[in-house]
Order: sequence, then C-alpha cells, then structure tokens
Amino acid sequence: MIKVILITFGFSAILAFTLGGLLALFQEIFKVVRDPKVGAVRAALPGVNCGGCGYPGCDGYAEAVAAGNAPVTKCAPGGKDAAERLAAIMGVNAASESVVAVLLCRGTKAVAPAKGEYVGIPTCRASKLSAGSVKLCAFGCQGFGDCVNVCKFDALSMGDDGLPHVDYSKCSGCGMCAQECPQLLFAMTPKARVGSVVLCSNRAVVKATVLKTCKVGCIKCDACVKNCPEQCIAMVNGIPVTDYAKCTNCGICVQKCPTKCYRLLDGVKTDVEVVETAAAV
Amino acid sequence: MNLVKIFLTALLIDNVVLMRFLALCSYVGMTADVGQSVGMGFAVTFVTVLATAATYPIYHLILVPLHIEFLQILVFIIVIAALVQLVEFYLKKNVPGLYTAMGIYLPLITTNCAILAVTFDNITKGYDFAEAVVYSVGVAVGYLISMVLLAGVRERTRTSPIPKFLQGTPILFAATSLLAVAFMGFAGLIK
Repeated sequence: MIKVILITFGFSAILAFTLGGLLALFQEIFKVVRDPKVGAVRAALPGVNCGGCGYPGCDGYAEAVAAGNAPVTKCAPGGKDAAERLAAIMGVNAASESVVAVLLCRGTKAVAPAKGEYVGIPTCRASKLSAGSVKLCAFGCQGFGDCVNVCKFDALSMGDDGLPHVDYSKCSGCGMCAQECPQLLFAMTPKARVGSVVLCSNRAVVKATVLKTCKVGCIKCDACVKNCPEQCIAMVNGIPVTDYAKCTNCGICVQKCPTKCYRLLDGVKTDVEVVETAAAV
Repeated sequence: MNLVKIFLTALLIDNVVLMRFLALCSYVGMTADVGQSVGMGFAVTFVTVLATAATYPIYHLILVPLHIEFLQILVFIIVIAALVQLVEFYLKKNVPGLYTAMGIYLPLITTNCAILAVTFDNITKGYDFAEAVVYSVGVAVGYLISMVLLAGVRERTRTSPIPKFLQGTPILFAATSLLAVAFMGFAGLIK
C-alpha cells in the first residue's frame, strides 16, 4: 500500500518537474523578442483601459503607437502629460490639448416637461428608441444616466434636476459619455476654451415648436448671428455655432439671447458655471 | 486492412461529434464560418495525433510497469496541456504564420474532451501503436468533417427565415441531430 503511494508521489513529482523544466527551457529557447518600445509606451499610459482611443485597451494602443500606426495624442485620460511622454519615447512632436465633456442641454425637469409617464426600460437608449424622447423636446437629455453608468472616472452624477452633472476635477476627457449619449449631447470641449457656447441641441426646424417643448431652448431667432460684432456665429443644422478663431468673448450674444441659451466660457472649470450661473445673466 | 477498418470506423460510424456527442462545445463555438471550422479541425487533428503519440508510450512504458494505471486521467491531461504549450512556443518562434493562423485554437483545445477521449480509447480498445495513431487521425478527421458540415449549414441558416423561438443555438442542435441521423446510415458500412 505504502509502496503505491510512494510510487505515485515519486512519478507525479518527476513528471511535474520534467514538464515544468521543459516548459521553462522551451520558453527560453524560443523566446520572441518584442519591441522594447511597447513596454515603455505601455508604462507611460495611465492604464485605465477606457477604450477612448479606439483600441482594445491600453495594451492595444501601446502596440499600435510603438509600431507607428497610431498618433501619440489619442490618450484622453493621460491628456497632455501622457502625450508628451509618448512623444519622448517615440521621438515625435506632441500637440495635444486636454478636453472635457460639456453637456449641451439645460432641459431640467422644471423647464422641459415630459411627454407623459415613461414605464419602459430605464435607459436613455431604450427611451430614445421606443418613445423617441421622454420629453416633449425630441433632442433633450433623457435623464436616465447612460452617461453616468459609462463614466469610468466617477466624474458624472445625476442631479436632482434630471440632468447629469460633470465634476471637472475628475473628467479626463475620454469621450465615452459623448459616444454613449443617444442624443449626442456631450461636446468634447478644450479645457482652456474661451468664448461663447450654446447650451442647447434642439434642431427642430419650426421655431414656434421649441418654446412649447422647452423654456430654455434655442428658438432660432438669429439674434446672436445678427448682433455678433465679429460675425463669428453661424447657424449650422438649426444651432448657432461659434467660430472660436474670431470670437472675442465680448458677451453680446449672451445678452441678446431671448431664452438665455448662451454661456461665456473662460476655460471650462465647474459644472455650476456652465449650467446654472448664467441663468442669472 | 485492419487499419483501414479502424480509420473508417472512427471517421464515420463512430463519428466523435455526431455519434458520440463529444466536443460539442467547440463544435458549436467554432463553426461560425467554414474557414474558421477548417482551422479548428486541423488544429484538433494535429493535437490529437501528437497527444496519442505522447500518451501511448507513457501509459505502456511507465504507468503499466509501475502498476499506477489509475493515474492516467491526471497524467494524460497534464501531458497534453504541457505538450500543446511546447508546440505553441515552437510555432511562435519558428513558424509565426502558422501560429497566428491557429491563434486561439491551440490553447483552446488543450483539454478538449474529444482529444482526451481518443487517448483513453487507445488504451481501452487495446490498440498497438500504429493502430492508435490511425485511430486518432480517424477521429480527428471525423471531427473536422462534422465541423465543416455544420459550418456550411450555419452559413445557410443565417439568411433563412427561422422562427424566433428556434433562432441561435436551438436551430444549431436541430441541424446537428439531422446530421447525426444521416450519419447513422453509415452504421452498416463495415461488418
């Protein structure tokens, strides 16, 4: 009896060590030399695997960068720092600006009434597909927080007003919320942006319908376009768009806008600044 | 003659997937298109023959003289897994083209039940070494054939109007059972 146990033990041990040794030996003999840059690039990346660059995780992006197939500026969470580190490794110039997400909608529960009671699947995408929109405004925020769920940096939170709020101390600019939002309400905006911005995405063609659906929507009155001294505002698909190369941050559009859609940005700093203060303007 | 008989039995009459219902997981998972199923089939063929060549002598030259035949499950699994790893290292370095072609299939099939079943069959059926190798080739090619057949069926079903409750895996197994019925016709092939 004891003999069988000993033989079993001995044989298993020999087998294990033989196979283990062979594996180690083979790994050494048939070692594949990887590009050392891949490891260096990977180490310089933040490693959050957000996928914002369009590659399958940081490893995929590191390989693409090391092979010279991807620009060094794609990593949004790493921002300028990461781009500069990658540029140093790869020996190229980095010209990158940090961006953050800005919600282009102010349709809170109070100002943008709901169509009725929505009882379907509680996600923005589902409500958009099934009901068109839970609000009378077909372009506004659905308020189920798909963006909050997809944010890997805990930078988004659903406010009591029914809109997501961005914590700009945490937003890395990865752009996942912008991809997730079925209404395309998030604009990836340079952090240092100076100039006016319209916080509305209502592209309804008929002017009169806008006010019925939302009290703070852009009614396409063209007051901003006509009054801008630099003529830097143009209507694009029913929404005024500022040309930041010309904008002098004079604030005339903000004053002229009858529904107070406009905000002046002096760098995107706080969510409150973007969403609420200018209600007082 | 005996070898031909063993080969045909393993290939058609006792087809590993359709008559013995082994390796169904990779059968369902890897038949999304014909090219993929052929790749998987050849990888399995390769590993099966390799596993037979390695486990048969281990059993008869080591386990039997030491009277520890009860260790065969453990030993076979470990030996096959290690073997596949070794081959993978070799291919990665020396034949990178084949390595990328086989890709995930190689590690996937390290402990595929069909391969393990073949190594056990070689012992229980009392084959000698040549018979064991021929048998393993037969089983593996049988696996390849059934993979390619189902992949072809799947490519057709993709554009067919299938009732909603049968879509996906149900229709796959329905098709598999029909294939199995067809293979039962081979039962009288060898007396």
